[in-house]
Amino acid sequence: MPPFWIVIRQLVEIEEQMATSKKVITREEWEKRLNDVKIRKEDMNKLVMNFLVTEGYVEAAEKFRMESGTEPDIDLATITDRMAVKKAVQCGNVEDAIEKVNDLNPEILDTNPQLFFHLQQQRLIELIRNGKVEEALEFAQEELAPRGEENQSFLEELERTVALLAFEDVSNCPVGELMDISQRLKTASEVNAAILTSQSHEKDPKLPSLLKMLIWAQNQLDEKATYPRINDLSNATLEDPTV
Amino acid sequence: MSSIKMNSCNSNNGESKNGTSNSLSSVNHDLGLYFLELARLGSAKAPTEMEEDEEEAPKELNTINSSGGFLFVATDKLSVKYTSVNLHGHDVGVVQANKPAPVKRLLYYFEIYVKDAGAKGQIAIGFTQESFKMRRQPGWEANSFGYHGDDGFLYRGHGKGEAFGPTYTTGDTVGGGINYASQEFFFTKNGTIVGTVCMVKEIKGPLFPTVAVHSLNEEVHVNFGQKKFAFDLKEYEAQERLKHQMTIEKISLPPNISYGLVRSYLLHYGYEDTLNSFDLASKSTVPPIYIAKENGFDEQDIVYALNQRKTLRQLIRNGEIDAAISKLRDWYPQIVQEEKSATCFLLHCQKFIELVRVGALEEAVKYGRMELAKFVELDGFNDLVQDCGALLAYERPQESSVGYLLEESQRDVVADTVNAMILSTNPNMKDLQGCLHSYLEKLLRQLTACCLERRSANGDQGEAFHLHRVLNSVTGLVVLSSIWSRAPPWIQFYQLYSEDSYHLLSFDCWKEILFRGTSDSGMLLKN
Repeated sequence: MPPFWIVIRQLVEIEEQMATSKKVITREEWEKRLNDVKIRKEDMNKLVMNFLVTEGYVEAAEKFRMESGTEPDIDLATITDRMAVKKAVQCGNVEDAIEKVNDLNPEILDTNPQLFFHLQQQRLIELIRNGKVEEALEFAQEELAPRGEENQSFLEELERTVALLAFEDVSNCPVGELMDISQRLKTASEVNAAILTSQSHEKDPKLPSLLKMLIWAQNQLDEKATYPRINDLSNATLEDPTV
Repeated sequence: MSSIKMNSCNSNNGESKNGTSNSLSSVNHDLGLYFLELARLGSAKAPTEMEEDEEEAPKELNTINSSGGFLFVATDKLSVKYTSVNLHGHDVGVVQANKPAPVKRLLYYFEIYVKDAGAKGQIAIGFTQESFKMRRQPGWEANSFGYHGDDGFLYRGHGKGEAFGPTYTTGDTVGGGINYASQEFFFTKNGTIVGTVCMVKEIKGPLFPTVAVHSLNEEVHVNFGQKKFAFDLKEYEAQERLKHQMTIEKISLPPNISYGLVRSYLLHYGYEDTLNSFDLASKSTVPPIYIAKENGFDEQDIVYALNQRKTLRQLIRNGEIDAAISKLRDWYPQIVQEEKSATCFLLHCQKFIELVRVGALEEAVKYGRMELAKFVELDGFNDLVQDCGALLAYERPQESSVGYLLEESQRDVVADTVNAMILSTNPNMKDLQGCLHSYLEKLLRQLTACCLERRSANGDQGEAFHLHRVLNSVTGLVVLSSIWSRAPPWIQFYQLYSEDSYHLLSFDCWKEILFRGTSDSGMLLKN
């Protein structure tokens, strides 16, 4: 074999060996790469605006538009309406919330039987919370039972909720979690998401997904290389690679 | 403590000795330089992030490297016919595409239509390497893959196939694709997926789309995407992305992390009004959000001089550069004392731009001669001086190739520079990178770098991460092309033929104005 080919073969072998062992990237090299990344200010502004808008910080979004010149990707007026609905559910005024959703767009509840059921369920919970036992029973029989017949999971939920009536101290009973504030928040965020979807806007802000993607990307890269990671997202500190 | 390294022109500065130098002038100088590059980001000559991912996709068949004699490639280089009578296994008519399948993307896919299954229907579709032996079916040789029509078998690397999908014959459309995210090949028949198969790790290097015919009159037409595919690739791609997204969404985050990052972003850039509204609103949410302590957000450093930073940003965003400079002189004289610093330079450029914006051309010329001329032929500064000067050459500068200077984002760069400089005067600021980048930006940089590194570890296969693309997937391109089409044709001409000659031209104009004192800038417009 001519010497030239021997050298080539050796090079190939070295390359193969390198491919199997984990690559080590020093802090210095990595920082150089980080500096080479181009992130546009406008894009970060958009990301922040998207967060404010989706999470319903309407005044902050308005201020941010003025201070940064970033245009929101949705009509800010619609945020106010959406937040009013959300707030109504969070405060337990479910009837009010249902009315507001229907004012906004009657199709939202028509096309989301599950959402409608959860709102009605929340309404039942609030009646029980306020000690209106008779009203609660009547409401459950007239409004919720017919829906339970249509759908097995609705029926189970209904039974669970009505069970609240069987306990004197509802907060300490097996289904007590329904009385918890978190149940309101869950229903509120479900309505919020449905309204956003009806406005052809994504129901979740982009920022959390990108943060999750960062965790995923770092985990993936761990298999291939040792490099400076960011373990604490809240202060974005680059940790030295452990070799 | 880390010192900031810039790939800049500033050679006498370098790294500070033992990393504790606090000499403000050298540190500040370094920091400001970072923004010079940003200031030119909008320019047509600045590198764009999209470019690197553009790879040439196969468009036609390679007529040179094909098994001549057995097959005939039509003049459109997209149809193949076996024209002789096959005698044994070594007279396969194989032909590769003219280019390998592009790798820096999620998927690659191509299709064939079987016009005629000929005598035996021994047609194959697959992928092979450049060194592949012509006259062999794809899949028979090492490092090649093929889905064969006569038995519906998949062949990978040797002459013995395995049951895979249905057979295919005259009138069928068959496709072959690579999914870089899942590291799989996939094959389709008449628009539906037949099956997938793992790519073998050992396969390195470019893979060529390949078709083979092996008996009299077998004829296939290849579609590299010029015509609509029978298979709904868009839908498949959407599903693959969704699958990926679902995996990612399962990852859990610390509570209120997004909230905290947005808040620190507002603090970092001095968006004080937004911050106040944001804080007010989050107090009234149910439940109220408390973050600072539980998540360890360290805000001490960025609350620094918040109101002054906000004021200066407002002034600069309103184009009131003189007022901003005078406020800086009062509040932070150390930032503006060095006349040749990048910060002063950017402020002067912006002042010049504001004069052009309101049509005060003569004043602009005077100002430029006084404040900008000293930066001419200074590395790092020169490009921006040239672009500023070129503004004078156009009747409608906002429509010219240097029109980016008149955009809002340009004011923002200057405001960001001043903001960073003020942050750097904070005696408690431990990390100078912290003046340049918000936590949010650091995370986004880390994300981009990780994705790029992972791709290069995967033989450059798959997509990179671009924040810009995530946020502006379609609209971004539309806007770009519409700006471009508004540029006067002669600019496009110069761009096409010689970018440099165009810049030389405007630079000459500029020099003329600066040094020879041509007061009538209108004269230049006529030339």
